[in-house]
Amino acid sequence: MNERLKGLYKTIILEHNKEPFFFEKNEKATYGLKAYNQICGDRFELYFDVKNGLISDLTFHGFGCAISKASTSVLVKNLRGKDFMEALLFCRSFLSVAKNDEGLDEKLGEELEAFSAAKEFPGRLKCATLAWDEMIIFLEKNITK
Amino acid sequence: MIELKNIKSHFPIFSCHSDLVYLDNAATTQKPQSVIEAISNFYKKENTNIHRGIYPLAVSTSQKYEAVRVKIAQFLNANDPEEIVYTSGTTASVNLVVHSFLRPQLKMDDEVIISAMEHHANLIPWQMACKDVGAHLRVIPMNRLGELDLKEFGEMLTTKVKMIAVTHISNSLGSINPIEEMIDMAHQKGIPILVDGAQSVAHYPIDLQGLDVDFFTFSGHKLFGPTGIGVLYGKKQYLDKMQPIQFGGGMIKNVTFEKSIFSEVPQLFEAGTTNISGVIGLGAAIDYVNELNRDEVLGFLKRMENNLTSKLLEVDGLRIIGQAKKKSAIVSFSMESIHPHDIATFLGAENIAVRAGHHCTQPVMDFFQLPATTRVSFSIYNQEEEVDFFVKKIKEIKQFFG
Ligand SMILES: Cc1ncc(COP(=O)(O)O)c(C=O)c1O
Repeated sequence: MNERLKGLYKTIILEHNKEPFFFEKNEKATYGLKAYNQICGDRFELYFDVKNGLISDLTFHGFGCAISKASTSVLVKNLRGKDFMEALLFCRSFLSVAKNDEGLDEKLGEELEAFSAAKEFPGRLKCATLAWDEMIIFLEKNITK
Repeated sequence: MIELKNIKSHFPIFSCHSDLVYLDNAATTQKPQSVIEAISNFYKKENTNIHRGIYPLAVSTSQKYEAVRVKIAQFLNANDPEEIVYTSGTTASVNLVVHSFLRPQLKMDDEVIISAMEHHANLIPWQMACKDVGAHLRVIPMNRLGELDLKEFGEMLTTKVKMIAVTHISNSLGSINPIEEMIDMAHQKGIPILVDGAQSVAHYPIDLQGLDVDFFTFSGHKLFGPTGIGVLYGKKQYLDKMQPIQFGGGMIKNVTFEKSIFSEVPQLFEAGTTNISGVIGLGAAIDYVNELNRDEVLGFLKRMENNLTSKLLEVDGLRIIGQAKKKSAIVSFSMESIHPHDIATFLGAENIAVRAGHHCTQPVMDFFQLPATTRVSFSIYNQEEEVDFFVKKIKEIKQFFG
């Protein structure tokens, strides 16, 4: 097995891919964000409500590659219970890990770090950031409200 | 005659990447040394514009440019080189027919027929023309194997139909469509028909007069030639009726501020400085293909396709997408719960080049209820061992993600 590939497909990613967190449809949710990659057809929807200013009942559903599915699963797992400001900062840290703009932030942990190899596969970076990009757009728009 | 077993050495890309297993030939083929040299020599030794200069170098370039037109006409057995229009590729060729031939005569409630397996290039231009005037795009259905329903096609051929466009070979399924029969059926009703030859021209001998097809399109880059050059073949009787859609230099006889008189077909459709080096490269590519034993090539490709298909079918949970009775050397497949992009990334790390995605045929993916497939497409320089190596890697992928 090729070392570069092992770097991309870390065990954590494979596990999230096989058994994603909160992988279910929720058409009744107040918010339904669509994350769609037109290049490859990956398509996920994020469902959530906001209770007392906190993101709650965050789930997701859809289809995509192992990287995009795992990264969406990690998003869902981590953003539950955060307010918009916390969530936005968290999403931005994730992106800088994935794109490696800055050094790795220790406290983000290995779950996010797992995606840092995506930048070596430029064709796959969008897979790692798909749902996060969509979430950031939403949060930036709604944070002042 | 070129022997297949020595062929790989004619393609410099394999000297630069000795481990490259190139299985993405339906996207574009590699270029032989002779094509690369023809282009390079043109720029080194012959570069001039055409149809303009009267100095010897320009005259010679113009002659070579026109000689390639004759060569293409012979290669495809067209009746007359004037029926060969240079374009930038299949996409441009289809768009030219749509805007220049169909659009001026298309009216509300007319119909245009395409098939369920068209590349977006042979779908969207027709769709847009229909939308513009309130005409209807009709689609010949296919079955689960990827075979067109000719009975249904026959029933669709009413007096409302103004044009038919169908691909010779599907780039995502590999199906070889019965175009001979379809052309006959169309002509019995007096309907013009375009055949998209992008996927067929490299390997399947094309006899345009025998087929009696009205329009035929292809791209040089899938025929071992350069990108940015392609051909529209049109029967003279149709080309003569078509209006140009691009105007400028190179397509006029006389211009005043009041009025312009245009040149004849085919220059009429070649406004501006065209892709001259592309034409020269395409000529060299056709010379190369003419040196191949095409029966041997087809036999080889069939063996590769059969061999890969039967080995892939042994892999649990793997589904071959497109199992038409007549198939070219294209094998699309999906693997249960493993996404094509993960497969392609994995293979890419092993220097195997395949295509993963919708292959510009989203309706085909919708039909099979898949977001994407992984596609292998063979050409003349592939090796029998590459099939085994590929299948071995597929098994590893299955284990890895399994
Ligand atoms: C069947 C078919 N039609 C049309 C095209 C478009 O060709 P081009 O991109 O060279 O214009 C392709 C190429 O992918 C094809 O496979």
